Amino acid sequence: MPSSIVPQLVGKDLRLMRPIILGFVLVSVVFIAILNLIWGHMPVPVAANLGFIMVIGPAATCGIVILMKTNVFEKEKSTQPFIMSLPITVKEFTRAKLWVNLPVFGLFWLAVSAMAFFFAFGRSLFPLGAVPFVTMVFLGGFVAYSCILSVSLLSQSMPITVLAIALFEVGTSGYLWTIVFLPPIAQHVWGPQAVWNPTALGIVAAQGIVAVTVIAATALIQGTKRDFI
Amino acid sequence: MDLPLAIDCKGISKRYPHFQLRDIDLSFEQGTVMGLVGPNGAGKSTILRIVMGLLGPDSGSVRVLGHIMPEQQIAAKRNIGFIAEDMRLYESETIAFHMDFIKSIFDSWDDDYANRLLRSFDLNKKQKVKGLSHGQRVKATLLLALARRPSLLVFDEPTTGLDPAVRKEVLDEMMRALEDETRSVLFSSHNTLDIEQISDYITFVYGGRVLESRNKEDFIDGWRRLRLTNANNAPLPNLANIRDIQQSGRLWTIVVNDYDESVPAHFTRAGLEVSVVERLTLEEIFLFNVQFAKSGAQMELA
Repeated sequence: MPSSIVPQLVGKDLRLMRPIILGFVLVSVVFIAILNLIWGHMPVPVAANLGFIMVIGPAATCGIVILMKTNVFEKEKSTQPFIMSLPITVKEFTRAKLWVNLPVFGLFWLAVSAMAFFFAFGRSLFPLGAVPFVTMVFLGGFVAYSCILSVSLLSQSMPITVLAIALFEVGTSGYLWTIVFLPPIAQHVWGPQAVWNPTALGIVAAQGIVAVTVIAATALIQGTKRDFI
Repeated sequence: MDLPLAIDCKGISKRYPHFQLRDIDLSFEQGTVMGLVGPNGAGKSTILRIVMGLLGPDSGSVRVLGHIMPEQQIAAKRNIGFIAEDMRLYESETIAFHMDFIKSIFDSWDDDYANRLLRSFDLNKKQKVKGLSHGQRVKATLLLALARRPSLLVFDEPTTGLDPAVRKEVLDEMMRALEDETRSVLFSSHNTLDIEQISDYITFVYGGRVLESRNKEDFIDGWRRLRLTNANNAPLPNLANIRDIQQSGRLWTIVVNDYDESVPAHFTRAGLEVSVVERLTLEEIFLFNVQFAKSGAQMELA
């Protein structure tokens, strides 16, 4: 039985994306170093907003650029017939794309989340009561990314993916604004202790379930496609 | 041991909003070259993509090297080298990158052959794809398909847009690849000269249908142009295989398919004098086939 070529496809995409990944990692490191230097020399709200942008910006942009290049450009630049001429099915093609995008963005997102938690709570920018909400913010970002990744794989269309990016960005902001004003969240967010009440746990669990379901559904739908060029 | 057919398509159909592939039968043995000729939009690429498992037919069956497509496409594609006119390599990468990538997938990759092709095509493997001309890109793609030593080569319009010199190079290398007698090629083009040069079998496709599919020699043998003198304005014999009629005064030019030695006698018996019987080029045969299909005369005669 011939072995799957998914590892070779993942390796190929990682090699193609290496300069981009390294570039964004470098930008992140520089931003975090700058943030560390200027921390304490500016008002807290400014530091919080600036820090949020400097930490999240490179990771989110990196995730979007990579999914665009690996999923959308594969079709737009007509390299897809070359790849699909190899011993591979649509299902395996999709698996390979998920194995490239999810770990790269996931690791990056995990690192920036850790960094954000460090600045937000390790340096007492926010009270510990905000831990559940900040967790929801970062998980919400991952859910939005999963949805955009799914759209990019299913459509492989630049306009549709760009529209999805805009919609999920606005949608995630709206969603976070909504949950922060939910009484079970709002009443603890400025408190001295992290309160993981059923609402907070339910929202976090739902976010995790949505992310996993979207990825699984994408793989399933792709597996049913009969026409793929 | 009997080898399975290189390609065996039976009754394949595929419907799009503005185009339909209808009831396509296409088969040929391993070790032979099948040329698929048709104008743009005839359905050649759709047939090849169905053969490659990239499109699923709405009905019909496809077997490639004995593998059912698209279900067994992984096993089949391990032995297929595919080149399509709209296929592109990664622009930011070198030819060497692509060679390494393909080598990592195919155990059958032949380094010596790949290097020989690099020299023969005058390609520098350190050059990035974005710096290559169209002809060099086609040659690089051909190298990647050939050096993995596949049993079947599927080429969708590989020579389109190439200058005559590069086209000859590409065709020559394809011919050399066929020296291995078990290797088969399915080759689509609207350039009948390319098809005539390398094909054993030829299939004409038009409007999503197969017009004719035969051995190349039978094709060339089967068509004739008869130049006739009709001094008495006699009516033409009612032959079902007449494909074209041109008249200039008393001189008539008749093109027939399924020609045999009895055909001139029909005209002689009808009172016409047969001056010349000529063979047609493949291009002329193709054009008459298309013209005939367009006119719908085939339906009337049937």
